[in-house]
Amino acid sequence: MWQTFWALFGAIVTVAACYATGAWILDWAGAPLNRPERFPLSFVLGASVLHLAVFAILSLKIAYRPVVIGLMAVPIAWAIWKGSWRIKGDPVAPLSVALKIFYSVIFSVFTVVYFFHAWAPESSPDGSAYHLGLVARYLRAHGFEQVITNMYANLSAGVEMLFLPAFAIGKHSAAALLHYGFLVALAMAMFAYGRRIGKPWVGAAGALLVYVSPVVGLDGSIAYNDCGVAAIAFAVFYFLEIWDECRQPRLLIPIGLLAGYCYAAKYTAVAMTVYAFLFVAWKSRKIRQCAMVAACAAVMIVPWMAKDWIYAANPVAPFFNKLFRNPYRRIVAEQEYADFLSRYTVENKWTLPLEVTVRGEKTTGLLGPMFLLAPLSLLALRFREGRRLLLPGLLLFLPFFTNVGTRFLIPCLPFFSLAIALAVPWTPVLAALVLIHAVLSWPSIIPRYSAHYAWHLDRVLWKQAIRKIPQDRYLAQNFGPYGIARLIDDNVPKGARVLAVNGVADAYTTHEVLVGFQAALNDDLADILDAGWDESRQPTRRLTFKFPVKTVRRLRLLETGVGAPLEEFKVTELRYFYQGAELPRSESWKLRAWPNPWDVQLAFDNSPATRWRSWEVAAPGMYLDTDFGKFEFVDEVQVDTSFDYANIRLQVEAMDPPGRWTKIAADPKTDLLKPPVDIRRWAGRDLHERGIDYILMNDTDWGADDMREDPASWGFQEIARGYGARIYKVVKW
Amino acid sequence: MPEPYAPPLQRQPFEDARPHRISRIVAMADADAVSHFVQDIAPGEPAPWKWTNQKPTVKVVPRTNLRLRYVIDFSVPEVTFKVTGPVTLTFFVNDHALDTIRYTASGEYHYEKDVPPEWIEPLKDTLLSASIDKVWVSPTDGARLGFILTRIGLTQ
Repeated sequence: MWQTFWALFGAIVTVAACYATGAWILDWAGAPLNRPERFPLSFVLGASVLHLAVFAILSLKIAYRPVVIGLMAVPIAWAIWKGSWRIKGDPVAPLSVALKIFYSVIFSVFTVVYFFHAWAPESSPDGSAYHLGLVARYLRAHGFEQVITNMYANLSAGVEMLFLPAFAIGKHSAAALLHYGFLVALAMAMFAYGRRIGKPWVGAAGALLVYVSPVVGLDGSIAYNDCGVAAIAFAVFYFLEIWDECRQPRLLIPIGLLAGYCYAAKYTAVAMTVYAFLFVAWKSRKIRQCAMVAACAAVMIVPWMAKDWIYAANPVAPFFNKLFRNPYRRIVAEQEYADFLSRYTVENKWTLPLEVTVRGEKTTGLLGPMFLLAPLSLLALRFREGRRLLLPGLLLFLPFFTNVGTRFLIPCLPFFSLAIALAVPWTPVLAALVLIHAVLSWPSIIPRYSAHYAWHLDRVLWKQAIRKIPQDRYLAQNFGPYGIARLIDDNVPKGARVLAVNGVADAYTTHEVLVGFQAALNDDLADILDAGWDESRQPTRRLTFKFPVKTVRRLRLLETGVGAPLEEFKVTELRYFYQGAELPRSESWKLRAWPNPWDVQLAFDNSPATRWRSWEVAAPGMYLDTDFGKFEFVDEVQVDTSFDYANIRLQVEAMDPPGRWTKIAADPKTDLLKPPVDIRRWAGRDLHERGIDYILMNDTDWGADDMREDPASWGFQEIARGYGARIYKVVKW
Repeated sequence: MPEPYAPPLQRQPFEDARPHRISRIVAMADADAVSHFVQDIAPGEPAPWKWTNQKPTVKVVPRTNLRLRYVIDFSVPEVTFKVTGPVTLTFFVNDHALDTIRYTASGEYHYEKDVPPEWIEPLKDTLLSASIDKVWVSPTDGARLGFILTRIGLTQ
């Protein structure tokens, strides 16, 4: 029962602190807000400032629970003392009874579903993995730490910074409830916007179109951040509209802060930062005012860039790794990931509108069939407000093509929803549209038209929310990754790292789980593991270059071909010979590679289970370079490699005394190689040597059956199994 | 660009090297067990054991056909044995009868036997089954229960 209380308390305290901070700033700025605007806009603005305060205590490594709670208590006390706590503002025209009933009934009914879902134990895939996994990790470490094993640690996390105080008090559900707070604030702000422009039905309809949308309800009631991003983006727009009316210079401070907070909350929302800057530039034509917005935005953006620069050698990690080359993320992995996100499993992009509105399986979630009417929003172009709404809506819509997950439409949804509502001039028709949308979005109705495995809410989790069904039991029975997280904590010694093929619920384990695709280091480890069972990755191809004896000090293997998409240049071992005898590798040798200079030793370690990979698509100019430190006789070069790539052309070059590279051999002879019968042991030993002694395999993972049938051949011992997974320990190396 | 690296510690071959042993065993508790079912095994979530019908069959894909043994762990439960009496099980590999054994008491049993290499084609689906001569038929809904299967497969 206490779990229930603390979850709610943690969320309420964080929401209150955000509101208090924002309300005080708005009072200071003299923002001419209407009464209904006070809470939602103060909350979102306060969130932006508080997120930075949390960022600061994490940077200072003082994120102890009393500090975090104090950070929440101070603004609340300050706002009460200064009188900012009160809901105040200019009065607005009263609502009609019909509108009051219409809005409050639909809003309340869906609120019951969402609120209990947010309050119930958190079991979302990404929420329990990285959104909260990293929050939990930072809390354990009392601050930021360099995380080179999880690319998600490099994403800006403006909303997650606020999950941290909520989580510190009320754990996982508190964070989900806080995110739900953003959704409520968004709906309130949209409704208030309608009242500000004198069209309350438009505001109500727009707010409800968003609020009851299935993907919004689901996303907003778990520890994700999309609804938070939508609320922030809409707040930027809202403040710009108010500023445009009153031209109060101090308002540019909240505008700049919120515009920067868009980037801090999600990279793709940077479109709104640009919009804010251009809007102020266009309207004011004053450098000073533009500089104010830019400076305030920078206050929010720079800390995130600096953090990534310091920890990941890339200010916009985990993207643009080709521009900011670093040892933490493979470029080809970034391309592969981007390629997947741009299509998911949608083969025909013309089906996307149907997928994101009605089917909802391939793009994980649906907006609701009513959004097939989105083109109707163009009719709003005849109104000034419509034009103002559609431009930022369009800017926020564009990043969708880089990630076609339905939830990536949430940030632009408020703008299009209000525009749709604006485009329909008849209130009864508008009310009917909203009502139909609400019916079609009701959890029990969705399966009647959506795809079978569409992701959506399915029931009211009130027993789970008040923990009448204990959290542990509910999660163990309904959320496999939770069981696996428990399996890890129960069987792996504290502090030991675990290598896994697929993600786990990091927020429920204290162990660091290295998931193959999430970082270059993990990827290298997974490649070693895969070399144990996957013949296509084993050194089964030997390329031999023979040439008249040369006296050389420096040789390189140069790639001159162009790889197919996602095809890397890979070398398991590179050996040099003279008269049939291999040149023993000496400590005086200097090894270089381009690209991926960091892994060059993998091609010179005498292990068939490790290999150097270019980390980007094979291209002319890539090389492995050996400086022998003295002159050596060489008449043969052998390259042991695999068959999982084809489009390469290699040549051997020697450096002449003036320092020029000269081709000495090309067109190698290809022979088939048989890898060692115990290559699995080699793989197990290489993992052990890199500090990996525990491997988690789901029964359905590639390679799981190989490991399961003879763990001893890997030097492994199965130490635990359950929830469709097994944990192996490296016991012989 | 980082500084050039020296060659790392050279890995040495193992002295006690041995090849990997094939073991394509489908345990009913495995998360992916259902994907191996061909017929006469109750579907649904993985469980430590499952009821079968008359001729439960699974498919596996062995990488080799050398030195493989057919393995099965099963139970003849008392509840059905009381009705059926002694039962005879015939074990099959790709529809070749490997053996036939009569069980005169209820209980848990383990059986394994070498499989002739010519019965199996490497890297192709191999069907493994065990057929019981008498099944218990539910008088209420007609459900047919053969025996309880824990695991079945090939090992090397």
